[in-house]
Amino acid sequence: MSGDSPEIRAGQVGEQNASIRRIEIARRLRSIAVPVIALAGLFSTIAWVQPKLLSLRALAGLTTDAAPLLMLVMGSAVVILLGGIDLSVATMASFAAVAFVMLNPTLGEFAFVAVLGLAGLVGALQGYVHHRAQIPSFVVSFGSLGMLYGITHFISNATAAPLSQPSAIISFFGSRTAGLPNGVIVVLISAAILGALFRFTRLGREIFAVGASERAALLSGVKTLRVKVLAFAISAICASVAGLLLLGQTGYSSPAMANNYLLPAIVGVVVGGTAISGGIGGIACALVGGLIAGLVRIGTVIVGLNPAYQNIVFGVVIVIAVAITIDREKIGIIK
Amino acid sequence: MTPVLAATNIGKTYPGVRALHDVSVELRQNEVLGLIGQNGSGKSTLLKILSGMEQPTTGKIRLRGVDTIVRSPLAAASMGIGLVHQEQSLIPNLTVAENIFFDKPSPHRRFGIYNWRGLNREAARQLAKLECDIPPDIKVDALSFPDRQMVEFAKVLAIEELIDQPLVILFDEPTSLLSPSEVEDLFRQIRRLRARASVVFVSHRMEEVLEISDRVHVMVNGENVAERTQDTTSHEELYHLMVGSRRSDDYYQESGREPVEAFEPRLVVGGLTAPGRFRDVSLSVRSGEIVAVTGVAGSGAETFCRAIFGAEDGVVGSVKVAGHELGLSAMPDAAIRAGIGYVPAERKLEGVIVGRTVLENIVLTFGPQMGRIGLINRKKETAQALSWMNRLKVKTPSPVEYVERLSGGNQQKVSLAKWLMSDRLQVLILDHPTRGLDPGAKADLFGVMRELARQGLAIVFVSETLEETLGMADTVIVMRDGEVSARFEDLCLHKPRPEQIVEAMV
Repeated sequence: MSGDSPEIRAGQVGEQNASIRRIEIARRLRSIAVPVIALAGLFSTIAWVQPKLLSLRALAGLTTDAAPLLMLVMGSAVVILLGGIDLSVATMASFAAVAFVMLNPTLGEFAFVAVLGLAGLVGALQGYVHHRAQIPSFVVSFGSLGMLYGITHFISNATAAPLSQPSAIISFFGSRTAGLPNGVIVVLISAAILGALFRFTRLGREIFAVGASERAALLSGVKTLRVKVLAFAISAICASVAGLLLLGQTGYSSPAMANNYLLPAIVGVVVGGTAISGGIGGIACALVGGLIAGLVRIGTVIVGLNPAYQNIVFGVVIVIAVAITIDREKIGIIK
Repeated sequence: MTPVLAATNIGKTYPGVRALHDVSVELRQNEVLGLIGQNGSGKSTLLKILSGMEQPTTGKIRLRGVDTIVRSPLAAASMGIGLVHQEQSLIPNLTVAENIFFDKPSPHRRFGIYNWRGLNREAARQLAKLECDIPPDIKVDALSFPDRQMVEFAKVLAIEELIDQPLVILFDEPTSLLSPSEVEDLFRQIRRLRARASVVFVSHRMEEVLEISDRVHVMVNGENVAERTQDTTSHEELYHLMVGSRRSDDYYQESGREPVEAFEPRLVVGGLTAPGRFRDVSLSVRSGEIVAVTGVAGSGAETFCRAIFGAEDGVVGSVKVAGHELGLSAMPDAAIRAGIGYVPAERKLEGVIVGRTVLENIVLTFGPQMGRIGLINRKKETAQALSWMNRLKVKTPSPVEYVERLSGGNQQKVSLAKWLMSDRLQVLILDHPTRGLDPGAKADLFGVMRELARQGLAIVFVSETLEETLGMADTVIVMRDGEVSARFEDLCLHKPRPEQIVEAMV
């Protein structure tokens, strides 16, 4: 069928496009408003208790610490938007750091590409198994969490190892440009790429469609297997970058170095307003949510609380945030 | 004589929506009261209020002459009001007997422990009231849909034992998923029960309401606009009251219909078989032809149509579109590439993507083809989607409104527009396209189907009623137990009598 229609004049189309754009922007601002207010509130509270937070050094420290977390949050968000969950991200980050340290002496800077490619492959495999065998993604990623954990400990002999040979990429990850931590630059570039993915590509649109209604998407011709494979691959690649950022910050790899990041990563996604039921949210939401989670991590230290409080806060926050954002109608019966 | 149930000046407001306004109804002893109205006219809301699922914002309910507040469905049951649900409320992995007494005290259940024999005997007695011999000890998921409805019915009837007054039974669109013969069965039961209960019957099928009810209330926009008795009204009058316009003689736009020219067939389905669902079904559809596939529930008509699109597993046979053989697989992908579009019956689950915008739904499948590999050409796809929304007259506050906020008919048009975006669309398959639509929206959709056929599309559809089948189709294929039991061709030259089709169905 041809779709040309003489009854719509060019001027009308322009007007309608402008109004569509207006509504879309307003909607996006509305969706991000609450998390932004929460972030601002949290920040001012911590700054009020401990004014040192406002110093440049503290801010740089905060963003440096938050960068790996933000990478994890953005990657997890892609899978959660799809309606799934990837529990293996933190372990994947540790694996990436360990693998880099081991591969670097032989491959040099190519180790970077190799590690990202390896992570992408493992992620893609998770997506494939999840969809083909129709196993819930939390089970598949939980399983790969276990496997990656074991493999990482095995290949590293369960010991921490320093980067034996200097790597330009890793030292870039650990340093600053004009006072700005390079980790922040990496996060911003990644956010721009992912943002463009969601706005300008078929894949991005299809991730949202599958997340909102997988059956309807399938019957509309969306290749759900491909969408899931790619989403899990993106998540794993983001996680591996997070691991390399950590490696850049410490200079050491350790098989458990990112273990504490799983909870804050998921908290970051949901607290930014991305619904765990899929289809609602986005990269901007993930960035704001990731900053909130990062601020909680640093904030407890700055204010002088016992770091054990962090996990209590995260535990409480994840339940509350999911309670607010989940789409119960879609899930039907909650188990 | 005091009415059994009287609701006066009932109003119900949800945030931003006035669902009911000043509605009064009276249900008299031993009568069947019909409620009809378009979707969104408030008839379901009224039932929910009467059965305690919702509380009215204003107004009051008098039950057997006493002011009453119905706080919950459980409270309603204890007062003798039972609702037979549209979406069945049975628990599939419990037995029939357990389901019947699930929400009631029973002497055969003490401290949560069953006396199975007693419970089954009691359940069999309830089922016997309906002259129904479903074994009480089998699990509900092993039952057919009409049987489940009988159990649902028995569950409501068992309330009789709890109170010593006649029951009030509310039916919420009980016939929407039943075949004509099953509807007859249900009506027989309702007529029998009328001797000891009063019934409120809600349906969007006017014929049925008129057949079963003593009196009919017509609802429009949350208000009660008219009350008629069965013997003083007619189809035409009720339609006029509901829609505000007289039903035209040419509801299905049959004037100007001509026999389909003998073009090469667009879609040829040969010997399609899906074990356990349907066997050896063949079909050929020409350009501009509308073929109706019909049959009672379980006849395989719906699954056959899904199979053509590739949405069923384990299908063998051949599907050719414009001469090209499709590879049969469980993925609809090949069918879509060959130019087949499918509008599913489950609109909200499969037809549209709830939670995404109208625009995004329309461009989902074919929008990306207007851009370069993988990238979206937003401007171009939006312009084309808007032009289709215009041509199909999709009513929406904005193209980026969430699709679930649209009425059923407009959602259906969105589901349709998605396929029309393709410049290679050859065949359109529609499964119960008018399900749950009000008469105005139906007429609209029929108009669109006619227009598309006139432009050369080959259309296959499973219809909601016999009337639709006869009104729309050029060719009718009747299925029974997974096989083709009759074919009627060139309907515009010689139309079969409805009885001929029903005969082939059962």
